Amino acid sequence: MRHRRISRRHFLAGVLGTSATLALATRAAPAVRKGANLRLWILKTYVAPTNKAIEVSAERWAQKNGATVSVEYFTFEDMQTKYVAAIENKNTPDVGQLETGAPARFAGMGQLLDLTTFARQVEGQIGKPTANVAPVTMVDNKIYAMPWYIMGAFWYVWRDVFEKNKVKLPATYEEAKQAAHVLNRPNENFYGVGQSWNRTSDGYGVMQSLMYSYGVGWAGRDGKYRSIKTPTMQQVMKWATDIYKEGIQPADTLSWTGSQNNENFIAKKIAQTSNGPSITFALEDALAKARDATERKQREEAIANHLALPHPAGPDGRRMWSIAMSLGIFKNTKDPDAAMSLIAHLLSPEETVSVMKESYGQFGPVLDKARDASKDYFNKNDNYRTFGRAAEWFAATGWPGPVTAAAAEVQATNVLTDAPAKVIVDKWSVDQAIEWEDKKIKDVYDTLRS
Amino acid sequence: MAEARLHPRRWASASGRDTGTAFFFLLPLFALVVALIIYPFYRAIWLSFTDKLVGYPERFVGLRNYLYLLRDDTFREVIRNSLIFTVGSVTLKILSGLAMALVLNGIWRWRNFFRGLFLLPWITSTVIIALTWRWMFDSFPGRGFFNSVLMDAGLLTRPIAFMASPEGAMLAVIIANWWRGFPFFGVSYLAGMQSIPLDLYEAAAVDGAGTWRRFWHITLPGLKHVMIITILLSFIWTINDFNIVYVMTRGGPGTATQVFATYSYEVAFNQLRWGRGVTISIFVVPLFIVGIVLISRYLLRERD
Repeated sequence: MRHRRISRRHFLAGVLGTSATLALATRAAPAVRKGANLRLWILKTYVAPTNKAIEVSAERWAQKNGATVSVEYFTFEDMQTKYVAAIENKNTPDVGQLETGAPARFAGMGQLLDLTTFARQVEGQIGKPTANVAPVTMVDNKIYAMPWYIMGAFWYVWRDVFEKNKVKLPATYEEAKQAAHVLNRPNENFYGVGQSWNRTSDGYGVMQSLMYSYGVGWAGRDGKYRSIKTPTMQQVMKWATDIYKEGIQPADTLSWTGSQNNENFIAKKIAQTSNGPSITFALEDALAKARDATERKQREEAIANHLALPHPAGPDGRRMWSIAMSLGIFKNTKDPDAAMSLIAHLLSPEETVSVMKESYGQFGPVLDKARDASKDYFNKNDNYRTFGRAAEWFAATGWPGPVTAAAAEVQATNVLTDAPAKVIVDKWSVDQAIEWEDKKIKDVYDTLRS
Repeated sequence: MAEARLHPRRWASASGRDTGTAFFFLLPLFALVVALIIYPFYRAIWLSFTDKLVGYPERFVGLRNYLYLLRDDTFREVIRNSLIFTVGSVTLKILSGLAMALVLNGIWRWRNFFRGLFLLPWITSTVIIALTWRWMFDSFPGRGFFNSVLMDAGLLTRPIAFMASPEGAMLAVIIANWWRGFPFFGVSYLAGMQSIPLDLYEAAAVDGAGTWRRFWHITLPGLKHVMIITILLSFIWTINDFNIVYVMTRGGPGTATQVFATYSYEVAFNQLRWGRGVTISIFVVPLFIVGIVLISRYLLRERD
């Protein structure tokens, strides 16, 4: 075997080259031009302190870099409208907060910058997302947004009600339904559960958690359409509609808006419901505003008794659909380096934790460094320990496949919740509703141009 | 008197100058009509023949969107819901508008005060109206107005979930729309009634006509033109209404109150299919055009 002799010059050149590559790879974030001016779009959540904390964090970046950031808000209600108008009018922000389906949809439109190289550059600074969250921001192996946090939905129960009635806390959907039957007291206007199939994430989000936990998905691992006309989907639809037929929910549940399950739960009219940590925020906020000792005692008891469990599991495991938030850079930006620098700043463990501490558990970290940095914060009590684990159970729209524009559109058509509503309201059979839903889903995949 | 006579060439020149001036003064109006009416309308019609997706360039697909909607069972429901919502609301508005006008026409004291009072729903923000009516129909214990009244009166033991049934939800959005719109009818009919000559009533009274006959043979025919115009306008506004349905029910439960505007919004903005979303709105335009042409011809014939 012939050995190649390496000259000193070749060796030095190799060392220099490797060092330069490493230096580039470990560079924290691109340099920012003085006077850079960015528009940042973020979600205005119910938890007002979080919004403020993000604004303050962005301002810290601006001051550090001699730049300016104008923060503009959108809400869940106008998120789509605002982005659609901005895209069609070519008036997109430099950096935008994106919900679960947005990276796939917007990247497909050619609106987002490819951040694959940047993601590798800042990995040392911000860490890596969990394996189940990372695909949300990827299309064809390229990264189009940087995962930020998860706004999880949890299974809220009143611990005291369960204990008083000696009912086991539910670990599965079937157990949740059985518990609801035991706890149901319609004559006292108290119901076992409150789950609306409405046009908000409280509806289509829970439906996806239910489907995925039973092992039903409308797409395969390749992201292509897969029929849901299966016996397992019949079980899913049966659970979703039986809770209505069996009278274990308030009669108006189907008409609830996004906040009415919160209200009913906080007013102790229902024993269980699915919701984000905004319930915890409302209770903690109410405690801070207590006017006298009696009110304070009542509110302390409410906080002690409200329990956020992970969503129940199904026969195929526990998969929780959540809103996975990420930050993307729009191609229209005049200053991509500054935009990347701002993202690296917002995603750094220190900044993530500073925002998280103002989020009442709503801000579930997904990057490993932020997860490590926030361990103490999420160790506050049982509820926070559950909030901190949101990423572990996360399943994205279109499970088990990647998030695709078609999967996001299926969610947007509301067929996932309209199908059970057809059974509950229009008295369709379960099979009829599944047939209808399947046809609508197939139609989305057949007609969506790539 | 000396008659001013223009030489034909000078007359033609002056006439041409006048025409030019007229066109010049009409230009701003013409520009506005083109920019605000003709172009958006043309653009909407064009988009309905394309498969335009948000963020993608449009591609001509002919009648594909129209054919898709004709096969779409949800769209058929939307047509039915829109007609029930519109006919129900407009009928209530006509009846209550007539009642309001008759009452106001019959009183002299406080007439202006009541006219102002009745106009309140018309000037209140639609979103506030929708939220208020949603609250009125709510079945949350101690909050929903109707349920609280019925339960306090001992007529109910458990609240009625008005908004959870298709009929209840449709009734709720119809009532909210009626409440917002009836003052327009009332004020228009009142103006119409006040323009009917009083001597017609006096003559009819002398001939022994009672209140009902006077209303049937004098008031109603006298209001015919006002009624046609108000019904036409209200029909167009109501069938295109978005706010009340979106705020109160979001088209639910299921698709029970999904109407043209909400379905079009959902398809265009949530599903990002603009071509199809615009087609949903465009679908009713031929109906409007036929209605407007027929009514205009009828009114012009009546005037002649």
